[in-house]
Amino acid sequence: MTVTDISRRKKFFAQGNAYVPHIVVIEKIIEETPDTRTFHFSFKDEKLRKDFIFESGQFAEYSVFGVGEAPFTISSSPTRRSHLECTIKRVGRVTNALHRLGVGAEIGFRGPYGNGFPLDYLQGKNLVFIAGGIGMAPLRSLIWSVIDNRDSYQKIDIIYGARSPADLCFRYDLDLWGRDKTINLVTTVDKGDEGWSGREGFVPQVVEQVAPSASDAVAIVGGPPVMIRLTFPVLKNLGFAPEQMLTTLEKRIKCGIGKCGRCNIGNIYVCRDGPVFSYAQIKQFISSEY
Amino acid sequence: MINSARQQRLIDEAKALLKQGKVRWIIGFEAGSLKFTTTPLITADAGDTSRLVINSFIVNNLSNFLPELEGRIGIVAKGCDSRSIVSLIQDSKVRREDVVILAVPCSGLIDLAKVEQLIGKDRDEIDAISRKDDKVIVTLAGAKREFSISEALYDNCLACELPTPQEYDILLGEPILPSNEPAAGQKKLDELKKMSPEARWQFWKKELERCIRCYACRNACPACYCQRCFVEETEPQWLLPIPHWQDNLMFQITMDIHVAGRCTDCGECQRACPVNIPLRSLTKEMYDIVADLFHFKAGMDKEALPLMTHYEQEEAEDLIG
Amino acid sequence: MADKKINKRDIAKLPNEWCREFSVLVPSRESGTVAMTRWDGKDIGFLDWYRNTVVPPRDSFLPLIEEMFSFYKDKDGYNIELPPPKEQKQLIFGIRPCDARALAILDMTFNDGYQDPYYLGRRQNTVLVGIGCTKAYDSCFCTSLGNSPTDTTGVDLMLTDIGEDFLVEAITDAGKELLTTSSLSKATEADQARAKVSEETARQKVTRNIDIRDIAQKLRASFEDQDFWQKVAAKCISCGICTLLCPTCYCFDINDEMSKAQGVRCRSLDSCSFPIYTRMPMENPRTEKWRRVRNKVCHKYEFYPMLFDAIACTGCGRCIRLCPVNWDIIQIIESVPTGA
Repeated sequence: MTVTDISRRKKFFAQGNAYVPHIVVIEKIIEETPDTRTFHFSFKDEKLRKDFIFESGQFAEYSVFGVGEAPFTISSSPTRRSHLECTIKRVGRVTNALHRLGVGAEIGFRGPYGNGFPLDYLQGKNLVFIAGGIGMAPLRSLIWSVIDNRDSYQKIDIIYGARSPADLCFRYDLDLWGRDKTINLVTTVDKGDEGWSGREGFVPQVVEQVAPSASDAVAIVGGPPVMIRLTFPVLKNLGFAPEQMLTTLEKRIKCGIGKCGRCNIGNIYVCRDGPVFSYAQIKQFISSEY
Repeated sequence: MINSARQQRLIDEAKALLKQGKVRWIIGFEAGSLKFTTTPLITADAGDTSRLVINSFIVNNLSNFLPELEGRIGIVAKGCDSRSIVSLIQDSKVRREDVVILAVPCSGLIDLAKVEQLIGKDRDEIDAISRKDDKVIVTLAGAKREFSISEALYDNCLACELPTPQEYDILLGEPILPSNEPAAGQKKLDELKKMSPEARWQFWKKELERCIRCYACRNACPACYCQRCFVEETEPQWLLPIPHWQDNLMFQITMDIHVAGRCTDCGECQRACPVNIPLRSLTKEMYDIVADLFHFKAGMDKEALPLMTHYEQEEAEDLIG
Repeated sequence: MADKKINKRDIAKLPNEWCREFSVLVPSRESGTVAMTRWDGKDIGFLDWYRNTVVPPRDSFLPLIEEMFSFYKDKDGYNIELPPPKEQKQLIFGIRPCDARALAILDMTFNDGYQDPYYLGRRQNTVLVGIGCTKAYDSCFCTSLGNSPTDTTGVDLMLTDIGEDFLVEAITDAGKELLTTSSLSKATEADQARAKVSEETARQKVTRNIDIRDIAQKLRASFEDQDFWQKVAAKCISCGICTLLCPTCYCFDINDEMSKAQGVRCRSLDSCSFPIYTRMPMENPRTEKWRRVRNKVCHKYEFYPMLFDAIACTGCGRCIRLCPVNWDIIQIIESVPTGA
């Protein structure tokens, strides 16, 4: 499989009016950090609950009716279908409104959109997951999917960092991954506190220290743009080729389906051609447009 | 001094300023790509200064560009523009020592929209437009027609209170006095004031229904210098980004209040509007209110404190009480 | 040839006939600017003054504001209602070749992948009657883009000025169906010849030209040339005129509007000239004006051709005519470094 196939265009399109959301109901809310929550939700429509399929890395448009829409990745795994999850940091109008909602509230959901991670490309390889803060959300979906098909993959490294111990998301997952003998989990924080005995340091530095082997490996990077920008050169020095580095990009997305225009990086539309990209695809633009 | 002579002087002065390193930038006008059009020339290259022009179509208020450039700037300024510069200095957006004002006494600019109305042709179909004393001469298909300046100049030019900049470093040409007929520039406003409130409401409804929310009025305005405009705030969202006429009106009114005491009646908001909304009728009314209530005219007096950002101790009681 | 003609005196008979079946839109100054507006059923005086609209006819397909659906909450939760489909067919009379071609360019985006039901619904519901141009603006440059003042791309029926008459040419089947009025007579060979002359004369009047050979490659090579982009962006005031009134621009925003218990999800046109367009809570990749100018130019002349093999510009000249600072795309395109 060549790298250009990585962001293969989905031939699957929902029928009908793509702008009209489905109604989903919030079933559980997990307080991840002081400003981030994970919402567990399910479709109101029973048929959709059964039929809905998606891939790790794909995103959806969530709406609080009367406030507006915003795109978030689906942070649960397609291999675990009892409900869907999304993890949302409180940063603006829509996310604030989402955080005001409680269990039982109805929100709009349309998707899934985008390409998702190329599982067939990743199979049989060593995987290095590198995430910062809420950038773990799309990777977490993939990690669970990989764990649920553990035999199809080789070594797994997970390097996860946050600003402070309180900013680490998915601690319940980190516990499980930490205990899994087949996974090498490294957590780090920019600055620790009294209770923190783990590593300190920015994610790119920690990647440098951990120095995962590039041999037969793919690195999957998720996090704030600045972290992504700084992590690529480190991986490059470790011998990762542009095709061996994947990331999922975040842009201001409105329509989610390649029409409204604003998520372009050059001729690439993040919503339609991504959000998962290899560094080979975006290296021309990444310095100046992302 | 005739135009060509002072244009040459401008070129010489601008070139010298750049060459001697006295300024890093020159902002002036050069010939535009369309008939009867000029365009801002913003350059650090002394070679470009030979393209500078002065004519009856130097419409832009170039002070708009001052806050975004770094380094000392030589700027071509008509009377109204010089008032905007002074106002920007008062608001600490620009430092006086960072600008070299190349003052152009201005006898008013020709309003192409008015000429089009008078002639019944679009601007690019007209052969020539020239200015002679208090006449504007339009040549169409070889035939000349004369119009009085009150018919053919911008309303704000007719009402101009400062044709010659007071604040300047280099004066290009002889000073010009204000015209004796400011009433001509007040015509549109007078018509509106005569309307019943209901009729006026309907008038603005119709005008603002075609607003496309391009924000050219705001972006062309040197007094609108906020880094982040209230229309872009989302928490709280003061205004929906959907151009319904009510929101468009809300935007115009708020903008008007925000530039009260800063607006110099340069007319750029209205001129920039691509769909001919008579915005100056709003800004000029506010300008007149500010003059009446506070005896304040933006940019006329360098020593004055900015109207809306200072207060006197004795005002405090009233303001709060 | 089966072309027809109609005497200019009788021209009102055409919309008169059409408005039985269609909602007919014609160029009008009714709104205070020039836009396609519902025909009042009386005169067609626009023929005397009309050159092109200020608001592009795109507005009839992708309007400035559009209700996508409404929603309300009852005891069972949220309900969504789509706006009722428009029953009456629409006919635009007087669209210019540049704007008709622009619609063909927009179709590429709205047809690609997910179908856009709003835009495409209107497209399928609308018949375009073009009128060829006889006098170009001094900002027109359609001929540089393989277009012409009498080009028939995208129209269903085309009218060409041949002096006392208009030559009436059906381009599509939908256009043929419009040729039922008895006021039409058969066009002669002499009429056809006159149309050729008229076309050539109109062509000559388009005086501005740009060389678009290798433009996509040049732009690609100059993408990182910050000096160039800063220089061409210097006088831009970042308003939305050149995008919001461009017939091939289509960017939009989606927002909710509430009134009491009922809400509406609206889409409204947006512009890549605005810093907020790409603003995210923590970052904005295009805070600087030159980056936005670069994106605007490259989108039209480099990215769109990469995606759809078509330049997203038809040379209508609106962006030049309407720009408050005379920012001129022709001069920009002309000055793109060769990259060598």
